[in-house]
Formats: sequence, C-alpha cells, structure tokens
Amino acid sequence: MTAEHQAEHDYGAIPGGVVEPPVVVLPERRLFSHRARRLRDLSRRMRSMADFLGFAARLAQAQHQVLQKRTSTFQPDSQAFDLALEHGMPPLSVQSLQADLDWQEDLDALCDALELNVGQAQQQLIRQLRQLDHGARREIATEVLNAGRGTQDTRAFMPLVAAVLQVAWLRQCSVLPRPPKRAEGTAQTVCPCCGALPVASLIQVGRERSRVRYMQCSICAAEWYMERARCTTCFETGKLDYVGLEGEDGKRPLPIRAETCGDCQSYVKIIHRDTEVDADALADDLASLGLDIMIARERDIGRSSYNPWLIAG
Amino acid sequence: MTVNVTRRQFFKLGAAGVASSSMAMMGFAPESAEASVRQFKLTHAKETRNNCTYCSVGCGILIYSHGDGSKNARQEVFHIEGDPDHPVSRGSLCPKGSGLLDFVRSEGRLEYPQVRAPGSSEWKRVSWDEALDKIARYIKDDRDANFVERDENGGTVNHWTTTGFLAASGSSNEAGYITHKVVRNLGMVAFDNQARV
Repeated sequence: MTAEHQAEHDYGAIPGGVVEPPVVVLPERRLFSHRARRLRDLSRRMRSMADFLGFAARLAQAQHQVLQKRTSTFQPDSQAFDLALEHGMPPLSVQSLQADLDWQEDLDALCDALELNVGQAQQQLIRQLRQLDHGARREIATEVLNAGRGTQDTRAFMPLVAAVLQVAWLRQCSVLPRPPKRAEGTAQTVCPCCGALPVASLIQVGRERSRVRYMQCSICAAEWYMERARCTTCFETGKLDYVGLEGEDGKRPLPIRAETCGDCQSYVKIIHRDTEVDADALADDLASLGLDIMIARERDIGRSSYNPWLIAG
Repeated sequence: MTVNVTRRQFFKLGAAGVASSSMAMMGFAPESAEASVRQFKLTHAKETRNNCTYCSVGCGILIYSHGDGSKNARQEVFHIEGDPDHPVSRGSLCPKGSGLLDFVRSEGRLEYPQVRAPGSSEWKRVSWDEALDKIARYIKDDRDANFVERDENGGTVNHWTTTGFLAASGSSNEAGYITHKVVRNLGMVAFDNQARV
C-alpha cells in the first residue's frame, strides 16, 4: 500500500488495496450471550424444536454467566504458548490441558446457573451429573474432546460437560499472546488453537473477511480460514454438491447449506452470516438438524464436523 | 493432535441416529427435528471456481448453478459473485464482472457460428466445420494475395497487413503462447488481445 492510498480525506479513507483476511480469529467473550440470543430466536422460528432449542439457549446463557463470574487459576508456563505458536502446535491442545484446567468447579457453577431454568427431565439429569465423581466426569470430558459418541449411559451428560469445556477453553483463548498461524496439510481439518474438530463452517462478514469461509472450533470457538468451494475434509473439489432447504415460497428457512463431498462421502454445514448476520455456527447447526435427517435419507454420507451439544447415537 | 484426521469417523444423523442421540437421551422428542423440516424440500446446487474473462486482471469468480449433476437434470447458472479466496481480487468485481450473469443469460449471446454473406443483411447459422473451413480459406487466399516479402528498398519484411487478429483474454498462458506463435508466424502485424479492453 502506498502512502497515497492511506491518505485520510474529509470524507474518511477509502479501503487501500486488497485486504488479506486473517487466517485465525480468536473468539470474543460475548460469544455465549450472542449464541443464547440466537438460540432463543431460532426456538421461535423452528417451532417444533422449540423445547430443545430453548434449553440450548438457557445452556448458552449459563455458559455466559460462568464465564463472567469465574476466573481460572490455571497459570501456563510463561514460555509454553510462545513455544507452541512458534512450532505450529495448537497452544491450547485439548489433550495436554485437560488435566490442567479446573473445569470441574466450572461444571458445578454451570449446574447452579442452569438447574432452575430447565424442564423436569433435564433437572434430574443435572442432579445425576452433580453426583458423578470427578473421575467419571473426566471420562465424559475425554469422550467429548475425542469427538466420540459416549455410551447409552453417558451420552446425555456429554452436552453439559461439553458446555463447561467450551467455557474453560474460550477463557484460555483470551490469554493467548497472539493467534496461531495457519496449519498445513490435513492439520487444517482441526482447530489450530486446541486441536478439536470444527462444529460447522461460517461465511463471514466485515471489511477484512467479507464472504470468506472460516471453520469454527467445537470447543474453543476459534475460527480458522478455509477456502470455499473445496471439501474441508479431503480438499477435493470435483464432486461437491451444495444441499439446502427451501419452502414452498422458494425461501430458505435458515441461512444454511451443506457442502457434501462425493470423494470422501462427508459433509459440513455452511452457515451464511452474509445473509443473516446473527447466525451462529453451533446454534444454527442445532436448529438445522432436520437438514441432516433429510440428507441421511437421501444419501449414505456422514458429518465431518462435531457438535458436542448434539451427539449422534 | 487429539483427533486422528486420517481415521476420522463421520457421524450419521439420520432418524435412527437422532432417536438414540444425546438430544433424545436428555428428554427431548427426537421426532421434533423431523417435524421441523416437513414443509421443506431439498435443493441441490453447484459452486464452481472460475475466472472472469473480461480483462487481463482475471478476477476470481464463484459460479452457482442448479442441478445435482445427474444426467437428466438441466444445469442452469443462477448466480455469480467474486471469489473471496482469489489472491488478486479478494472477492471484488468491476461492473463488467458484476454483470456476468446477464452475459450468460443474454438473449443476444452467440452460441454457434453465424455468417452474413457480403451484401446480405441476414445472419445464417453454419456448422463449426463449415465456419472453420471458410475462415481458413479466407486466411489462405488473403495471405497468398497480400503477403509482402520485401519492401520497396529490397529489405526482407515478411509481413501481412491486410488481416488482423483479436485473441481472447480467457486463455491460459500456454494458449496465449501458441496463439502468438501461430499469428506471428503467418506474418500478421495487426494483433491485439481482448484482455486489453
């Protein structure tokens, strides 16, 4: 950019040259309250799923409260982050931090914030979760961080444990000295910040990343750049089919399409913030569960992303 | 990395998967998800990366088309926008690029060769073979008649000034190289490229 391009005018400055989109964007602390609002909105729009989305809204609101009220006692080694960032390793690796982060107390706080605002079945679930010892909770957390399905007995607890892990990891994101660099090769399919799977992909808005696609992490909510019109799992471009929902009036009920890939037989949802700026990766993925069901009915393909609030059996 | 990317499982969230999902286990009706989309139908589209052909900048574009690629489905371009991943244009398009969809759908768009005979006011459709034979014939005849080997001072020039050539901008480097070799080897002097327009 030349000095001429950067000159300020009375009417403001014009954008100078081509803007490179950032490769990794760390999450904002307001994420959970935005998500709660979006989920409340979606629960009104997708009326038959109102109970579930309403519960998810209260869970996100409880996450916001825990994040606001509590701080972490975890103090990383002063050079640990720099060392990881320098060598292209995820600085908040879910594997190495699982034992260090004190999310167990966050979980009790989350249960407190949630308990009185949910239905009877979920209240009972929360009571059972409180009675689990730390070891059992840790096993559930490991299953979430490994993007697993859990067992018949633990699957119902996984979204609640996941919610508190999301709080613990998002909190750590704010102490990172700088965002990680772009990962290379297949490492691009997992979060550069914590190594977890994405929850969905987002078409972003704003001057620097207008219509650019980002994957959002299912745990720490960091976003990383991922080229459009290319499979986010196997990187092939030849057999992509974009599947969406359409009403009789020709309108889309949700700003969502699924990018299905015939090469690796998987798909990932694309949430269009360019058509609905309030859209949220995790929330809109939940609300569009019907799309997953319709895709499964039509083709034998599976999700490459992982939404820890909705774990398939 | 926590997740082994090469051996990743893909979760199926069909009706059966939802019935035993965490949602159902937490006490929510799994049928509600299916009910939420009952009034909608699935749509299929393609999103293809390409380059704008209207000038030498070659801005990146994304072309959206209907049809799932099956044999009988009619393919139709319904939207074109700037490709935000393109390193040069980063998603921006000039007025020509922004109007690409209108070019694609234009009623006046040329889809096959046509010829208007000298003195006639009517365009007649011809086959590609016919058109190429005709063009080759004209080129040969005109070159045979007007090729100049030497100028008035006897110096060698080997040029042909009575026919010109306008090349396309939507060509690869290699196509450009071959075009240049063919045209210059014929001795043609009037040579320009759509890319400069």
